[in-house]
Amino acid sequence: MLRTVICDLARLRLSGSTASSAAVVVTQVREKGHLSRPRLRNPYWFIRPQRSQTDDLVTGENRSFIKEVIHDTYGVPALIKGVQTYEQRQLIKTPQASATEDAQPWTPNVRRCGLIARKIGQYPLWLKNGERVRTTLLQVVDNHVVKYIPPEEYRPAQQPDVKHLHRYGCLVVGAESTNPALLTKEYCGLFKDSGVMPTKNLARFIVSPQAALAPGTPLNVGHFRVGDFVDVRGKTVDHGFQGVVKRHGFKGMPASHGVTKTHRRPGNIGGGGEKGRVWPGTKMPGHMGNRWRIIKGLRIWRVNTKYNVMWVQGSSVPGSTNGLVYIYDTILPLRRPQLAPPFPTLYDNDAEEQLPEDIWHEQVHNFNEESITYKPE
Amino acid sequence: MATATKLYKQSWHALRQLQQYRTIASGNASASIKSRNELFNQEQKRQRDAVGRVEKIEVRYLGLPEDVTLVMNNHISTPYNCAQHLSEGHCKRSALALVDGSVPWDMHRPLQESCTLQLLNFNVSEPHVVNKAFWRTCSFMLGAALQRAFKDEARLQLHSFPGPNIKSGSFVHDIVLGAQNWEPTKAEMRAISAEMVKLAAQDLRIERLEVDKELAKEMFKDSRYKSEQLPSIAQQNQSRVTLYRLGDHIDISRGPMVASTRFLGKCTILAAHKVANEGSTDAFYRLQGVALPTGFSLNHIAYGLLEKRAQKLNSARLPNEPFEEQQQMQLS
Repeated sequence: MLRTVICDLARLRLSGSTASSAAVVVTQVREKGHLSRPRLRNPYWFIRPQRSQTDDLVTGENRSFIKEVIHDTYGVPALIKGVQTYEQRQLIKTPQASATEDAQPWTPNVRRCGLIARKIGQYPLWLKNGERVRTTLLQVVDNHVVKYIPPEEYRPAQQPDVKHLHRYGCLVVGAESTNPALLTKEYCGLFKDSGVMPTKNLARFIVSPQAALAPGTPLNVGHFRVGDFVDVRGKTVDHGFQGVVKRHGFKGMPASHGVTKTHRRPGNIGGGGEKGRVWPGTKMPGHMGNRWRIIKGLRIWRVNTKYNVMWVQGSSVPGSTNGLVYIYDTILPLRRPQLAPPFPTLYDNDAEEQLPEDIWHEQVHNFNEESITYKPE
Repeated sequence: MATATKLYKQSWHALRQLQQYRTIASGNASASIKSRNELFNQEQKRQRDAVGRVEKIEVRYLGLPEDVTLVMNNHISTPYNCAQHLSEGHCKRSALALVDGSVPWDMHRPLQESCTLQLLNFNVSEPHVVNKAFWRTCSFMLGAALQRAFKDEARLQLHSFPGPNIKSGSFVHDIVLGAQNWEPTKAEMRAISAEMVKLAAQDLRIERLEVDKELAKEMFKDSRYKSEQLPSIAQQNQSRVTLYRLGDHIDISRGPMVASTRFLGKCTILAAHKVANEGSTDAFYRLQGVALPTGFSLNHIAYGLLEKRAQKLNSARLPNEPFEEQQQMQLS
């Protein structure tokens, strides 16, 4: 939770005035969020994913045999939706019946699954009124549901910040399938039950039981619609130890006109009087970045189903290019959807409802259409 | 602080009790093992004393770092002693010796005449001999591990192990167990594999001793199946029987073994196939496993393939079939 500092201006005033209205200012203090505790060993649930690579003294013949076995189990490596992965023919094909009949209806309070994506770049889009909109491209990279944990069994070691957690289950989703020979046996054991190919990244999504998905279900960008609002969580760019001007946006001092040795320093750090000390939470230089942050309420302007890419509003998605982000339905109350989104997710097998390759928001100018022209009068 | 010391004392006592229980539990078996080991020690000493006047032999070592001629003691010095003259690395890495370019020789077996010597490890260009010795040692170690793993109530009797065949995919040890419907669980298999790994960690030297068939009979008088096998074994070897010892486990085997249990790397015991019933209460079982020497790492997919292959019943001669000499000659 963000720490807030409440400054009561009345108390700081030296001259006491009785009838003045005490204005209370609440400022967000964005800190690390936890105390520094020396972590001396991994938690009991930690499983090392990457195998320490040593030169396997395996003959060339045997190496190709092992590759053959992996291809037989999981499929041949293929470029699917612009991501290097394996065709996984043995995965559960979500049958059409489950998509229409058994699917429970969507309600506004239901929590759906999210997606794991990579931030691949930024690009402007133009609205039909001529306004330019900066957008960030997020590509959903080969997501598959690995496991569903029902609410009765879900007891996470580190509790997420969700009210009434006991009502919700947990969906474990994997992104970016990898060659299992490069991973440890324990990590691959997580995928054994579902038969999903081991992935590089795993994430948990807190979902309502109605939104549960079968293990092996692929998740694509069609899970969200154009015009929906999403929250995007990512790890911010690590700027290292930064001064107060970059870190907190202080103005600094002039470069010349007699200013001595003080151009980017914080200046005054507190008042005097009764509380004559530096208050906790005072903005000072320190480590900046490399924190998990959630940007809320980003509108999806455009979606490409061929490459699983979505264009979201703004250029403030945390992280650098090619960094991982996690996309959720927005929690902002005024931007929640009125109409039912694909629930629990959009299944590929619905042949009647094959989405077109490029879907643009109605306000956005489609680059393939004619430009705005003016008829000479 | 007092509570901490009290807890420590309690846990220490519990550990001691457990250790004592372990030694008490193997009561009956240990008496015969003890006598067997005593006879082995006596015979070893007798053979060493029988050398008499020490004569010198020239051992021409061929290999890295350079070819050297070593002057060693006849019937006393072993290839391991030659390695000690070279370096500690040679001692630790050499699994088997090759005498006169063709005869595989145990590292701790005394040399008998002037010869050329090559020290083999698992990384040589022609590793067939070492690999076979390794496979044979794994079978031998499996016998020792089973002896330690089973309780007296199981009425375990080790039968034998057939010659090594690496292409079959598994090393084998045949036993007779006092249960006709034993279905090994995964935990039991893991426990036996753990015993193998413990033996490897103890770095036990594997000693060789050639004895007369009379002494061998005396040593194995408590074991029914070994006593039955001894006459035919002795007959093929000019009434001499080759014994190998590992810790306090002694078994009969023909071929060379690797120098020590330390060479066992990754090891998994995978299957216990029931071969046949024996009498009304016992049955023959074939224990199978797969192993890699130390220093060889494999990803879990490749090792899983080896494990799957090793689970299939090994086609080596079954313990309840008549022991045919021709088969024995073919095994190398």
